[in-house]
Amino acid sequence: MMYQDIKERVDYKTALIALALVTIGIISVYSATYDARAAEIFHKQVIWVGVGILALAIMAVVPFRLLQLVSYPAYFLSILMLVTVLILGKTVSGSMSWFNLGSLRLQPSEFAKITTVLALATYLARSDVSLKKMRDLSIAAGIVLLPVALIMMQPDTGTAIIFFGMFFPVLFWGGASRFTLVAIVAPVGTAVAALFGTTPFLAAVIVFGVLIYLTQEDRIVAAAVFSLTVLIGVSVQFIYEGLKHYQQKRIATFLDPNADPLGAGYNILQSKVAIGSGGFFGKGFLRGTQTQLNFIPEQWTDFIFCVPGEEFGFLGAATVLLLFMALLIRGVTLGSVVKNRYGGFVAIGLTAIFATHIFLNIGMSIGLLPVIGVPLPFLSYGGSALLSAMTMVGILMNLYANRKEY
Amino acid sequence: MAQEDDIAVYGKRRTMYAVIGLMFLFFFARLFQLQMIYSEEYGRQSEENSIRTIPKEPVRGYIFDRNGTLVVDNRPAFSVTIMPFEFDKHMIDYLSRLLSLDPEFIRDRLKKGEAYSRFAPVKIKRDIDFRALAALEENRDRLPGVDCQVESKRWYTTRALASHTLGYTKEISESQMKVQVDEYAPGDVVGSAGLEARYEPTLRGQKGAEFSTVNVRGQVIGRFDNGKNDVPAVEGNDLILTMDFGLQAFAESLMTGRRGAFVAIDPNDGGILAMVSKPDYDLSTFSGVTPPDVWRSLNDDAAAPMFNRATLTRYPPGSTFKMLLAIAALETASITPAWRVNCGGSFRLGNKVFRDLHVHGGVDLVNAIRVSCNVYFYQVMMKTGLDAWSHYGDEFGFGRLTGIDIYEENPGLLPSTAYMDKRYGKSGWTRGFLPSLGIGQGELGVTPLQMACYAAALATKGEYRQPHIARAIVTKSPRSVDTLTFQSRHIEVSENTWNVVREGMRRVVEEPGGTGGMARVPGIQSAGKTGTAQNTHGPDHAWYVGFAPYDNPRIAVAMLVENAGFGGTQAAPLAGLCIERYLKGRIARYDPPPVTRKPVPFPQALPPLHALLPR
Repeated sequence: MMYQDIKERVDYKTALIALALVTIGIISVYSATYDARAAEIFHKQVIWVGVGILALAIMAVVPFRLLQLVSYPAYFLSILMLVTVLILGKTVSGSMSWFNLGSLRLQPSEFAKITTVLALATYLARSDVSLKKMRDLSIAAGIVLLPVALIMMQPDTGTAIIFFGMFFPVLFWGGASRFTLVAIVAPVGTAVAALFGTTPFLAAVIVFGVLIYLTQEDRIVAAAVFSLTVLIGVSVQFIYEGLKHYQQKRIATFLDPNADPLGAGYNILQSKVAIGSGGFFGKGFLRGTQTQLNFIPEQWTDFIFCVPGEEFGFLGAATVLLLFMALLIRGVTLGSVVKNRYGGFVAIGLTAIFATHIFLNIGMSIGLLPVIGVPLPFLSYGGSALLSAMTMVGILMNLYANRKEY
Repeated sequence: MAQEDDIAVYGKRRTMYAVIGLMFLFFFARLFQLQMIYSEEYGRQSEENSIRTIPKEPVRGYIFDRNGTLVVDNRPAFSVTIMPFEFDKHMIDYLSRLLSLDPEFIRDRLKKGEAYSRFAPVKIKRDIDFRALAALEENRDRLPGVDCQVESKRWYTTRALASHTLGYTKEISESQMKVQVDEYAPGDVVGSAGLEARYEPTLRGQKGAEFSTVNVRGQVIGRFDNGKNDVPAVEGNDLILTMDFGLQAFAESLMTGRRGAFVAIDPNDGGILAMVSKPDYDLSTFSGVTPPDVWRSLNDDAAAPMFNRATLTRYPPGSTFKMLLAIAALETASITPAWRVNCGGSFRLGNKVFRDLHVHGGVDLVNAIRVSCNVYFYQVMMKTGLDAWSHYGDEFGFGRLTGIDIYEENPGLLPSTAYMDKRYGKSGWTRGFLPSLGIGQGELGVTPLQMACYAAALATKGEYRQPHIARAIVTKSPRSVDTLTFQSRHIEVSENTWNVVREGMRRVVEEPGGTGGMARVPGIQSAGKTGTAQNTHGPDHAWYVGFAPYDNPRIAVAMLVENAGFGGTQAAPLAGLCIERYLKGRIARYDPPPVTRKPVPFPQALPPLHALLPR
């Protein structure tokens, strides 16, 4: 095969970005576990990288039509797995989200992220479906909310938020009206604002009120959505009052990590010190004092970004950011050049999943966002997460190869 | 199907590029800020100093009685902790000698703690003495990762024990940890019985944290950021009780050497004034560390000192139940107050003979209560029937939980037609069961607490108030006193019925020939009823229920003395003294309580624990 041929068929740039990130990930996990008497974590991660590359290759070459064909069955299978895990799942750090298959542990919610995108894309790509119609919009929302509800029951708020982060860009891509987008964000935004207190709640009500007013001509519809927004905001406060003490505390920590300095707040403090002390060039591989002295518990999972930040400094951290940015830009570009409508939705949905993960995780590590437990794709330790990230890249490469098919 | 036209797609694509660009712009700006502008500051903190969190234990809330007397206090105690990832495991043997602990115990603790977190201190010994503390401080250098934490332990200040009511605090168990994974760390103290358990979330307070900077070797060199990020521990809320610890101490000393229970209630609000269960134990045994052998001996004691007899025992109430039958009979018009029976000392039903203790001659209802005539009530029960009796039993709260604010409670057993059908089959039981139930014997189980509530309802003519021990919670910041609210309900019974039954109870105490004369309080009219519950395992249980003053009741009581004999001589005098102590604040003539029988030695006659707990 000629170089031109390869270039035409294989999205090697995306593959290289993913491999570069995985490599940084392995180095970081090695460093984070170097002296933490957790060497088996590094070994497991290496095995998972192998499995992930295999998954990437398979997804990149399966017939494109087959992908489309299995979208719905795969979706229902993942729903079934989520239900099963609720019943049988093994509790890890307080929530039921794992299957225990011998020594392999799989998280069905990781799998469900992908299948939900596929199912949503299949539905939205139908010629008779329009996001301008209330009925179709509701069905699309239902496809997303079903797994979200099951995941919330585990409970795994982080992953549930990822689904919303995926849904919104897909709706935008699918041509939902501005009003629809506002109507979806308004209740969620108001509910979150209400948890912060009355002033943020009122501010949210005013902002969304104006947005609803500007985007909806029909005053009755506008009034209905506005009332719903206010109602949800108010009821959130009542529900909060009725929660058990530890549940309230969990939410309080979620909103303000300093409220629980022994747990989440401590990690953020340490994370900032680790990254900040890295300076421009970093302290060198295996020489980050914060990383090597294990000041951040289980740093190899959600706080992995500290490792390149501390040991390789601004150079290392910026490299990671640039690679992620390139991945997202390529994903959006792919979504716009794919001729097939289904493919476009899949590309945008998967890219949005990556974007939400990156946004939440790095935002948390550098102290811009509260602690929400989501892994950083390719870098964080965790078999299921790595496997699903590699699978997603494989699907993107598949779309690239078939981008000219209708 | 193809995507939409290029212009629309490219427009959306531009928006998305912009969003992604914006996100990374923020990230880069923040990285620049952290790693270029503040990097020296963070570098200093991390190169020489790193941050270590030292948890600060909150002070547990205090407990006051109704008069504002401090009854549960706190004292400082020193606990030894180990930070697992800093600790050199070769030092275990040395440390075990210093603290006189089994090295295996330390190893085990450490392993369990590490499984939870390697970065959280593991408590290995609570409440060490000053000698051990001094030895530890001297050898600090040789023991990296070993630390002392100041904690508070419970300190009991009054003469009264109130063991079962106050309850004890104990180091959290592994099974509790599994349920409470968010709130507690291993080694934390948790309320495990009585009020301490029931009000655990409010008494406990909130842990705080101090951030210290440590050098690369892990030694603490100072406060991080001058303690600006420290979070002080939040003291637990205080509890104000309805109890009168003067009365409590008096009742406890009165019952020393006996087995049984005493409950006194303020009938006007349902507040518990005193609650005694004997034998009891000293709660200070549990503050600090409880040696395993002490714990074992308390648990294995055949007299079950840990068992709250006031709320968990299930004994037949004996004749104290006759007012209930009288009310059921009058309300269903099965008899009138003037209805008379000529008591010849026994009652025959079929070929079965039910006996009475005395030959009472002709009695009406009021006097049948006064002399506690069994023959009279056998016949009333036959006329009233199980259903009406059981209905009023339920109204007075028998056979169900009273809802008192401690977790240890038994609903007791109140038979109904449905229950008997289920237990014996529809045709498996006859009216032959009824006479026994009519005089409070047989398959009937009540707790002393239920009996006190029953006495309170009689005192208030049917205001049944949920019994409770805590009256209010005092929060510290902002300081406020939140009065707790409890339920109450009205028992629908006619005024005339109340008057007849209460007059009968008054005569029990105040009139010649009444069985409860020994409960009399000089100068105050009171009302009551004695009971002697037959017991297949040994001597009868003595009961007394009553209230005083008769016209304006301020206290209602139930007294149970196990295996003591007659209610009139074994329970009534004790109850009378308690009433007097509460209403007058002192005892006018303190005769030593009349003990005609030697107290029953403990390891005897108590049904096994599982038989007493709810099924």
